[in-house]
Amino acid sequence: MTRLIDPSLEKLSSMMMEMGNTAIECISLAIDSYLEGKNTINEVHDLSDSIRIKYFEVEDLIFDMLLKYQPLADDFRLIRSSTEISYAFSRFGRYAYDITQVRDLFGDISECMNEPLIEITKKVKHMIKDAVQSFAELDIRKATNIQEDEAFIDKIYKERLPQLIESNNTKCALAEALLLRYLERIGDHAVYMSDAINYIVTGKHKPSQKRIDSHTNF
Amino acid sequence: MITSETYSKSQIYSDSFENDSEKYKMIAENVTISYGGVPAVKDVSMKFKEKSVTALIGPSGCGKTTFLRCLNRMHDMTKNAKVEGKVMIDGIDLYSKEIDPIYHRRKVGMVFQKPNPFPTMSIFDNVTAGLRLNGVRDKRILNEIVEDTLKMAYLWDEVKNDLKKPAVELSGGQQQRLCIARALAIQPEVLLMDEPASALDPIATQKIEETIIELKKEFTIIIVTHNMQQAVRVSDYTGFMYLGDLIEFRKTKKLFTDPKNDLTAKYVQGQFG
Amino acid sequence: MNNIEKRQEYRALFKQNVQKRLIVDKIVRIIIISCVIAAIIPLGSILLEVFKNGIAAISMEFITQVPGSVGSGTGGVGPAIQGTLIVVGLASLMGVPIGVLSGIFLSEFGDNRLARSVRFFNDVFMEFPSIVLGIFAFLVIVLVLGHFSVWAGAFALALIMFPIIARTTEESLKMVPVTYREAGMALGLRKWVVTMRIVIAAAKEGMVTGIMLSVARIGGETAPLIMTILGSSLFFANMNTPMDALPLRIWRLSMLPYESAQLQGWGAALVLIFIILGINLGLRTLVLHKKETMQILKTLKEKIGGRI
Repeated sequence: MTRLIDPSLEKLSSMMMEMGNTAIECISLAIDSYLEGKNTINEVHDLSDSIRIKYFEVEDLIFDMLLKYQPLADDFRLIRSSTEISYAFSRFGRYAYDITQVRDLFGDISECMNEPLIEITKKVKHMIKDAVQSFAELDIRKATNIQEDEAFIDKIYKERLPQLIESNNTKCALAEALLLRYLERIGDHAVYMSDAINYIVTGKHKPSQKRIDSHTNF
Repeated sequence: MITSETYSKSQIYSDSFENDSEKYKMIAENVTISYGGVPAVKDVSMKFKEKSVTALIGPSGCGKTTFLRCLNRMHDMTKNAKVEGKVMIDGIDLYSKEIDPIYHRRKVGMVFQKPNPFPTMSIFDNVTAGLRLNGVRDKRILNEIVEDTLKMAYLWDEVKNDLKKPAVELSGGQQQRLCIARALAIQPEVLLMDEPASALDPIATQKIEETIIELKKEFTIIIVTHNMQQAVRVSDYTGFMYLGDLIEFRKTKKLFTDPKNDLTAKYVQGQFG
Repeated sequence: MNNIEKRQEYRALFKQNVQKRLIVDKIVRIIIISCVIAAIIPLGSILLEVFKNGIAAISMEFITQVPGSVGSGTGGVGPAIQGTLIVVGLASLMGVPIGVLSGIFLSEFGDNRLARSVRFFNDVFMEFPSIVLGIFAFLVIVLVLGHFSVWAGAFALALIMFPIIARTTEESLKMVPVTYREAGMALGLRKWVVTMRIVIAAAKEGMVTGIMLSVARIGGETAPLIMTILGSSLFFANMNTPMDALPLRIWRLSMLPYESAQLQGWGAALVLIFIILGINLGLRTLVLHKKETMQILKTLKEKIGGRI
């Protein structure tokens, strides 16, 4: 039976998936080109922009649905979490752009590459893919993976930053510091996403420890 | 036999009655209501907290109005209606043989779907009908109660200069608020409302909802409604009934955002009924 | 695309009928109005006849004096007027309460076998020819007591009255929507309080109409009075003697071959009509427009009080 809200829900779903896939593309491009020394700031900028535009459209659609249909139960939770998740996507785009900007401003930084950095970027790419897939399938089992990945990123972040102070290559140190920062934020949002997906499926608000910490440690 | 264990373990009630030290104004236990042998309400049990609003929702014919009406023994008036089970107010069973239903019906007031002020009486007389016809004559007390209840029903300002006007000259929304004042005048402790705003326009509906929120501070209210957003707005607990059974009974926000029962989820999302 | 065509098709169907229907409408309207006129004409002409023929007889003497010698054209119908008022009044005192209470019983408590039988007998009773009821009263009271009396007359008329009142009361009460009874019950009022103070108040108009119909009916009954109060030329003495009444007097006067007697008959008929009209209007105003009457009486009292 088609309800009035169903076409809107479908539209929301397709827009979200589009955003998610674009976000994956965007971040992968940004990270890869950073590692390879390429400057892809324009392409990434365009991708990020398209995500941002979609974000506003999604917000519009969500509030339109609230206005018209006053959704309840599953519909309600889906729509509510979609605000959080679409924001996360828009952040992914933004941070991807920030990453390419580092390359753009600093010039060629391929000599700054190191193992931990490569590890961490792999994890981030993996995390984002997990998050988007988890949302597409409403599968909360991936949540634990995401949280583990995120914890790892956090660890590296906390270890590397103090080490960078000792570095004598200012350019590399700064570039890496910025990169780590952006990657750490991407990780945060991926975890927020998984919390939101958890809410859709279980109906429970379970702010992860990460979220509580990020609010208290500010 | 319903025990506190039943409430805490049952799928129907989930987490609604964790803190059992709360005061329950009214408790319905194993209520079964049949018309001419055909059951309309099957073994339904609910607890109503003091000074709270409980909403009953469900598709047409699910038994919610039938159940509501048994809470003040309105079925005594219906032929062929048989009510089994207990309905207790402050621990006293309304349906026990020793209790005079009239006395306890005064503890439980009722407001009906279509406003029904007595057509031959003025506003003042309508509000005081339950008092005068029960022998209360003191003019001072009547005046006090009229002002008090009309204020509670958010009608005082609109009619205070014209209390002798025939009640039928008021608008639908005003008439309904008059009926609320009339029900409150007999100083009930529980107020039953059968879709009180369904015959009214949106502004009148809003006023009724405001009234309910205000009344909640003093009375225990049970309201049958078709409008789920209304239930979300005014009630603390909601019970979902279907075909005579109580399917789910929980804190309102929980029931509407995260129903445990599939049937409930389907109903509130408009997937049937 | 198909839909639009179909719609045009359907719409074309309607067009032609309208003209014909307007004409039919006019014709039916004319027929109905003529029927109404046809129904009113006899009524109107009766009233006119009675007025025309009877007005000449009306005078103070006519209304207050006892009848003169037969055929003399003197005297009046004083006793008859008095008798009608007494007998109808007494019959109402007996018939109205019983009728109203039966009506209440049938309406409010009448969902069982007993009520069904009562209702059935009531309807049958209503159809009894009044002369049969007169004979019954004759047998039960006149023969037993050994003489004609006002009691017997009032009794016979009450018998005619109460089935009508019971029926109309029941119907009027049934017309009051259930929701008012429910509201009353929900206020913790006992059933009889709800019935008396709320339901009856709402059914007032219908009940009064019913009562007025039966009063008008018995005001004109002749046959039962023949066998019970017999008739007389004297004013009221006591309850146990024969008494005159307007229908009786009209009947007797019209049988006489004298023109003067006929004239008096017309006059009596006119008086009877006025009395019934008067009771009707009076009761209606008193019961239905209580507030206005109270207002008027109050202002009158003030005016009179001021003068004194």
